[in-house]
Amino acid sequence: MFRYYLKLGLFSIRKNPVLSSLMVAAIAVGIGACMTILNIDYVMSGNPIPHRSDVLYHVQVDSWDPNDPYEDPDLPPEQVTYLDGHALWQAQAARRQVLSYKSSRVVQPAGDDERPFAALTRSTTSDFFAMFDTPFLYGGGWDASADNNEDYVVVIGREVNERVFGGRDSVGETIVLNNQPYRVMGVMDAWEPLPKFYDVNNGPFEEVEELFIPFSVSIANEMGSAGNTSCWKPAEGGWEGRLASECIWMQLWVELHGEREKEAYLAFLDGYAESQKAAGRFPRPVNNRLNNVTEWMDDREVVAEDVNVLLGIAVLFLIVCLLNTIGLLLAKVARRTGDISLRRALGASRRAVFAQYIVEAGMIGAAGGVLGIGMTWLGLQGIRGLYGELDFIARLVAMDWPIIFMAVGLAIVAALAAALYPTWRACRVHPASQLKAL
Amino acid sequence: MEFGPIWRALQRNKTSYVLIALQIAVTMAIMVNAINIIQERSEQMARPSGVDEANIFYLTSNIFDPEADVEAQIASDLDAMRNFPGVVDAIASNSVPLSGSGWSEGIRLEPDPNLESTGIGVFFADDHGINTFGLNLVAGRNFDPAEITWHDYESDTWPPLAIMTRAMVEELWPDEPYENAVGKTVFVHRTKPVQIIGVTERMQAAWNSWSGVERSMLVPEWRGSSFSRYVIRTEPGRRDEVMPQLEEMLAARFDNRIVRSVRTMEETRERSYLLDSSMVSILTFIVIVLTAITGLGIVGLASFSVARRTKQIGTRRALGATRPAILRYFMLENFLISTVGVVGGAIIAVGLNMWMVEAFGLQRIAWYLIPGAMLTLWFVGQVAVLGPARRATTVPPALATRSV
Amino acid sequence: MLRMQDVSKIYRTDTVETHALRQFSLQVNEGEFVSVTGPSGSGKTTFLNIAGLLEEASGGIYELDGRDVAGLNDSERSRLRNEKIGFIFQSFNLIPELDVFDNVDVPLRYRGFDAAERRQRIERVLDIVGLASRSKHLPSQLSGGQQQRVAIARALAGDPRFLLADEPTGNLDSQMADSVMELLTEINGAGTTIIMVTHEPSLAERAQRNIHVRDGQVFDGEPEIHLAAQTA
Repeated sequence: MFRYYLKLGLFSIRKNPVLSSLMVAAIAVGIGACMTILNIDYVMSGNPIPHRSDVLYHVQVDSWDPNDPYEDPDLPPEQVTYLDGHALWQAQAARRQVLSYKSSRVVQPAGDDERPFAALTRSTTSDFFAMFDTPFLYGGGWDASADNNEDYVVVIGREVNERVFGGRDSVGETIVLNNQPYRVMGVMDAWEPLPKFYDVNNGPFEEVEELFIPFSVSIANEMGSAGNTSCWKPAEGGWEGRLASECIWMQLWVELHGEREKEAYLAFLDGYAESQKAAGRFPRPVNNRLNNVTEWMDDREVVAEDVNVLLGIAVLFLIVCLLNTIGLLLAKVARRTGDISLRRALGASRRAVFAQYIVEAGMIGAAGGVLGIGMTWLGLQGIRGLYGELDFIARLVAMDWPIIFMAVGLAIVAALAAALYPTWRACRVHPASQLKAL
Repeated sequence: MEFGPIWRALQRNKTSYVLIALQIAVTMAIMVNAINIIQERSEQMARPSGVDEANIFYLTSNIFDPEADVEAQIASDLDAMRNFPGVVDAIASNSVPLSGSGWSEGIRLEPDPNLESTGIGVFFADDHGINTFGLNLVAGRNFDPAEITWHDYESDTWPPLAIMTRAMVEELWPDEPYENAVGKTVFVHRTKPVQIIGVTERMQAAWNSWSGVERSMLVPEWRGSSFSRYVIRTEPGRRDEVMPQLEEMLAARFDNRIVRSVRTMEETRERSYLLDSSMVSILTFIVIVLTAITGLGIVGLASFSVARRTKQIGTRRALGATRPAILRYFMLENFLISTVGVVGGAIIAVGLNMWMVEAFGLQRIAWYLIPGAMLTLWFVGQVAVLGPARRATTVPPALATRSV
Repeated sequence: MLRMQDVSKIYRTDTVETHALRQFSLQVNEGEFVSVTGPSGSGKTTFLNIAGLLEEASGGIYELDGRDVAGLNDSERSRLRNEKIGFIFQSFNLIPELDVFDNVDVPLRYRGFDAAERRQRIERVLDIVGLASRSKHLPSQLSGGQQQRVAIARALAGDPRFLLADEPTGNLDSQMADSVMELLTEINGAGTTIIMVTHEPSLAERAQRNIHVRDGQVFDGEPEIHLAAQTA
């Protein structure tokens, strides 16, 4: 029977080619618009590290201005000072902790033909690699002793390894950064956490750094931050003044398993805040926060507001397309009442009429969905063309299979939903009502 | 003229007309709000930065040799650049307007940290700053070469002079003419006095979405670290020619540095507003496609409605309706449906806007957008129904006597 | 009143040429009740269409109310139809979305009468057909006979010079058909000229004069006899 309905549907679609293509096109365009924006939203709001997102916590302590909160309503700063970051890291009160900041180095390849080039750098403590489960092509990270001994070691990115070492296993070799030699400990494989959760305030969709060097080495070499720095009171002069200042420029993450560890760490933070108050710092009320990865992404609203506005508009857009389809299907039914009552008179049950029309609507929906995939692809290409100059956008517009299945599914569901009312109307056509006055 | 019977006839066959009216309403709501956003963004993008955008480019000089004498290098670089053919002037600064990264400070009228401060964008410059950026000095004077200081890394001094934008001084002293600001002293870093010696007409800060983007100041200082940003203004029309030559020249002057991020002001403006301009493009596209879909929907529905009523049309013709009368019937019918749609659309549009004002801080819609969108959709409806309505006029009156 | 002289009507398709009417001549005078009979395909409906200005003749002369209608454009024909002719159709052709009042109103709207005049006329003709109390009903809420009465009211409302009825009782049972025929006779008695196409001899007999059409031509004969009987 299903095949018979398929045949009837095809016949009906072919009988009204303009109208049918109008319906298919309306669904496709609506789906395309919706899925394009949804795709971007999906990537932006994705979980960058799903298997560890509930054990990694971002640490905030309120060291800010007594007169003004860092952010309304009374939120603690989104980064930490060197003083607090270093003290909390040194305390080692969590299972693991990583303190890091964004900076920049100039890589000087050996040999005369390669020119020096600048590379974004993360100055970090050793737990970074284990905590964030970074992939390695060769070697690995360094251990805690390198942090403490200020060893000149480095983890380099795949591209730097390509450029300086021709892509070979360079573990143990030497690379010169800002006129200083470092020993390569590992080569990181391609790693694209989206969003870049461990440092969202310096661009949540920026690429991962190309160089990783020990935090202690960078501090000893007076390498400043290449990211955002905010101060509520001016720093004293010089590097020592910067380190002793109330300026925030570092990110502190800790690894905690379960509520009890989290509560214990919060208690530890409160104790730390009290001790700082006693020392004359932390003029605001104690206000410490621990957010896991997903909480922190929500808190920072990494999904751009424009995307939310567009998502709303795209949903309304889809609604318009569906209203369009319902209207047209209804009109189609209204025109075919004669055909329906003839079928009913010849013995078709209500269910049979229902099935016939739903199958037809489903076919239109499926066609709309398949075309909608094309529209989504076009939409993403269009977005890429528009935003092309912003490098990170290219990373947001890759189509993936869940999105494709969603597009087709959404189209069929949408078309079926759109078809329900007209179909219900079709079923109510009385067998005898239309035969005479055709 | 025939509103009454058409309206009553519509009541009998409500569903599909209600659907099309709803479609028109939602289309209108989207249209009005999208245009509202487009307007808001376009206004933002239209604000001038105050600098000579067409002829300015800038670059980053990254000296990576820890032993290098940065001050001497900057002085000699500036000298070389200012004498370079095609270059009007050049300075070492920290940033340029709209670049997205920069320096900001808080200004207070008294040296009291408990007072509210007014945020301001900071551009370090020497006496060539005004000429390099192409600023318009509307009161006071430029820096004197003797007033330029070299910032010692170990010290926490702040230069005692500044040239501020008119928007800044008007923010500080809203009741006084801006000329009066010249000679006044304000405080930076809580307690450090700064005297205003000049006022420029306009110079935007580095962040276009900041509410204080019009507030900025020039500070007479060179700040050397391993990164320096050189801002270069060329003779009109020579920018693209000078850019690569100058980059080459700087790279060749000193081995232990790299020159990077060479970028024009125009490019900076484009990147700065890329999200806004893209939003404008996307929304424009959406409005056009949406209107087209709604128009096509009206065409489809009207076609059906004509097809379903051929017998009726024939009867009306037999009873004396002229062709124009039939055309008018369908046009009027569409007008009534559209009217329900656009009235509903006006309500949804305003509601949606109120929500967007609340949720996203968008601006209120301008009053004329509502009647504008109504007229547009009325017009679209009339154009869309024209085809099917004309087909209706070709129904022969003799159809009335055909028994099938 | 209505005069046809050698009217012909030819329908052409790519391959076939059909002569629906040939040398069709007829005169109908003021106040007459004429029935037109003939077998299926004889040209009855074509005659009706041409007489009612729904179609143009291919040749010959057609004068309506003393005016030659050849060469009138579509709008002029529409206006003439609206003013001079009232139509009654076999399947009533009421507009399903409109109630009784609005259905009768349709030709009056095209006539351009003002609201008061239309109301007065509608009430008058609904009174004549005995449906004044049903003016807010939809056609689907009425019986076939009632629907045809509404259609007759609609045809009468504009005070036409004559009524053209196309199988007016074809879709009605005999009882209803009788009452509709009585109504038509009454209307004719009040002075309106009626031309009625039918294939039923029993109905044709109730007219003053019968015209028989066969193969697109008027067939003269016995109907004349009935004429004398009926006028008595």
